[in-house]
Amino acid sequence: MQILLQSFTKILIPGIKVTIPLTLASFALGFAIALFLALVQVARVPVLSKFARIYIWIFRGTPLLVQLFIIFFGLPSVGIILDAFPSAVIAFGMNLGAYNAEVLRSAIQAVPVGQSEAAALIGMSYPQTMIHIVLPQAFPIAFPPLFNSLIGLVKDTSLASSITVIELFTTAQQIAARTFEPFALYCEAAVIYLMICTLLTWLQAWLEKKMVWRTPEDQLTG
Amino acid sequence: MLEVRELRKSFGNNEVIKGIDLDVNDGEVVAVIGPSGSGKTTMLRCISFLEKADHGMIRLDEHQSDIVTISKKQIHEMRMHMGFVFQAFNLFANKTALGNVMAPLTIARRMNTDRAREMAMGLLKKVGMDQRARYYPGQLSGGQQQRVAIARALASGPSVVLFDEPTSALDPELTGEVLDVMKQLAAEGTTMVVVTHEMQFAREAANKVVFMDNGVIWEQGEAGAFFEQPKTERALQFLRKQ
Ligand SMILES: Nc1ncnc2c1ncn2[C@@H]1O[C@H](COP(=O)(O)OP(=O)(O)OP(=O)(O)O)[C@@H](O)[C@H]1O
Ligand SMILES: [Mg+2]
Repeated sequence: MQILLQSFTKILIPGIKVTIPLTLASFALGFAIALFLALVQVARVPVLSKFARIYIWIFRGTPLLVQLFIIFFGLPSVGIILDAFPSAVIAFGMNLGAYNAEVLRSAIQAVPVGQSEAAALIGMSYPQTMIHIVLPQAFPIAFPPLFNSLIGLVKDTSLASSITVIELFTTAQQIAARTFEPFALYCEAAVIYLMICTLLTWLQAWLEKKMVWRTPEDQLTG
Repeated sequence: MLEVRELRKSFGNNEVIKGIDLDVNDGEVVAVIGPSGSGKTTMLRCISFLEKADHGMIRLDEHQSDIVTISKKQIHEMRMHMGFVFQAFNLFANKTALGNVMAPLTIARRMNTDRAREMAMGLLKKVGMDQRARYYPGQLSGGQQQRVAIARALASGPSVVLFDEPTSALDPELTGEVLDVMKQLAAEGTTMVVVTHEMQFAREAANKVVFMDNGVIWEQGEAGAFFEQPKTERALQFLRKQ
């Protein structure tokens, strides 16, 4: 009991200081990659859409842990040496990019074609149509699965412990090794992950409510 | 003035438009009527380049081009002088009524926001929707959405406005408000091509009627004379069924 209380802040702090930034940075990179891969496919950009298919094929078809090892332990042998944290961000980001590319692509394709036709007819260019009409409507469609992948990522960041990133799970491992209380400490780590994911689930519900195009009744006139 | 010559369009082996000539003079209201599947929508979609035609020439005021080899730039140029009203309204779901009418001005024409807002409010007033400027499409009835869509189509000051069955998706009690707006536009001298099943509207508001069947225009002429005494057996048959 004593150990649980003493170790709680010790695990929580790297949880907040490393796991959360790692999650957010990886997600941001993954989102940027996903958007790029989705757009070149939807726009059928010649070489790039082919590249996107191959990229998605590779990154969805190989284990995340293996990708992590290739980037951190493998790349130095071809002269590319990265710190553990950026390695993790790149591996998670590239992996997530592949999954979320499909999410975004199907969301973009779910926007009724009449919306882009109307945009084209009033003289909007293709990029304008995407930016002002299609993407804003695709985003709420993509939001629940994107958020799912964010919650999945929070948990997957524990894999970074295997490439020496000192995050929440690594800290729990270290304390467990020192105190010989693996059961208590790993359960404690699990609880902290659960807390983070619970907060995110609440955030998701709150954001989803905000994402409807309605002017509130009391602001409709005037 | 809109002029279309020798328009042809096939989907696979199915020839849907079989060499159509269409003339619309300034200030004219042309009603396009004909049975379902006769190619009316396809014709409008070819004229507005939503569908790539197989053959034909198009001229809108001083702009003229082969409809097949036309460049992207020319398409853009012509679309800036056309308005299009869809059967399904197709208002931008992520924009308010006002935002929808401003979009052609601020986004496509890069007009400054204040002027665009003023113009857009004027157009919404014209279609009786100024009180609903801040509503999103999801908060409007079908008839109201279609009136906003008409305002949007008018925003760029088009030489011709193409309507594809603007009241067909509406509950019967809502068609009146949309047809009233269209009659008002007709009376003001707006050049319009209206594909419609509303014979009453065609009779009252159109100067000219085009009768299409099976991808061919069988008759086009003065509206009164057409309804009085159609020249072809097909048109007669069609009118009897209405
Ligand atoms: N995208 C398409 N692909 C294949 N065939 C099509 C396509 N669009 C239309 N057609 C065919 O072209 C023909 C003409 O269709 P169109 O929609 O132009 O008729 P319409 O006169 O507008 O009919 P309605 O009064 O029912 O709206 C129909 O036989 C239809 O099946
Ligand atoms: Mg039709």
